[in-house]
Amino acid sequence: MTIVRAAGTVACMTGPDTAPFVDRPDGDLAREVASAPAGHAAAAEGELYRRFARRIRLFGVRHLHDDMAADDLTQQVMLIAIERLRAGEIRNPDEIGSFILSTSRMVATGLRRTERRREHLQMRIEVGEPVDLPRDERLFDADRIKPCLASLRERERTILLLTYYVERSATEIAVAMSMTAGAVRVARHRAVATMRDCLEARRPA
Amino acid sequence: MTTQGVCLSIGELSDYWTADVSHDDMERIEGHVFSCSACTELLADVESLRRSIGDVARTGGFQAFVTDSLLNQFARDGVRVRAYAMDAGGSVQCAVWDDDDVLVTRLRADFSGVTAVDAVMRLDTGEEWARASDIPVPEGNREVIMALPAAFVRRAPEVPMRLILRSSAASPEEAPLAEYTFDHRGAHTRRSG
Repeated sequence: MTIVRAAGTVACMTGPDTAPFVDRPDGDLAREVASAPAGHAAAAEGELYRRFARRIRLFGVRHLHDDMAADDLTQQVMLIAIERLRAGEIRNPDEIGSFILSTSRMVATGLRRTERRREHLQMRIEVGEPVDLPRDERLFDADRIKPCLASLRERERTILLLTYYVERSATEIAVAMSMTAGAVRVARHRAVATMRDCLEARRPA
Repeated sequence: MTTQGVCLSIGELSDYWTADVSHDDMERIEGHVFSCSACTELLADVESLRRSIGDVARTGGFQAFVTDSLLNQFARDGVRVRAYAMDAGGSVQCAVWDDDDVLVTRLRADFSGVTAVDAVMRLDTGEEWARASDIPVPEGNREVIMALPAAFVRRAPEVPMRLILRSSAASPEEAPLAEYTFDHRGAHTRRSG
């Protein structure tokens, strides 16, 4: 687990025991961090990180379309959130989720600008491959995905492939398949639910 | 653990990863996910499903009736496609090579007035080898495009196979729309040099 240890630093560590905080509301955790001397609420900070890092990363993947940029976003936002909590600058700790979401939006905007500048520079300068960071993802392996995909109705399978592989909108798929956009969305919802049930049933013991 | 308001449906969370979600819905979904652990888990599952489907597709690891846009994506991703085109009543000698990922067949016929078809593939013994139902046929289309994983075709017996297309709305007594014969010649290895 990665937690913020001190202002301006982010460290990787196995982390303190966060078990006492697992069932506590987000606001309680935020208050714990805000009321303790800086760096003395490591377990609460660790639990906040565990809860919000995944949300920020998913937000980042959706908006930045890049895993490494999503990792950067997660680190930066959590650093800001913990620093602001420690400094007592978040007035309502119960709204910590809203604060982290709005910070994610703001930082993502900055990262998009940085990426545009980087792309501009990359057109002129050859740069090496970026280093992969460890990820918290639960990719389903092909042996589980394939039979579940095969078990779908023909239309539903084609709709999932066009949506998630070819990245077509419901309107575009509707034209290609002589359906309405609404019918495409309903079929997609049903297919995703069926796939998830099928994958759960095939989860390794 | 925290939860705010009513949890999101898997449909809403699957829309989040598509071009279909509106700006307002996106903000609503994000506002909820940032306060709800259960919906975060579900959103992560849908994201993982989205990636995994893409990964399987990029290896041609599915059997489906597809569109030209999907074949174009195959081309962009470097998926190796062996393609055949057949008219109704046609026959083709076909095989897959060891470097093929996908076998694609354009099945042409007169689909006037037909909105969906069923397909059955049989060996020359009459044994059923594959079946697909309710394959959509867009108005004005003169073909449906069948994609099979090359790995699946490599395991097929080296015998003639017959594919029959019927309108999904037709009664069993009605004549089929079209028949195609695949004279399957097995899997081949490309010799180097």
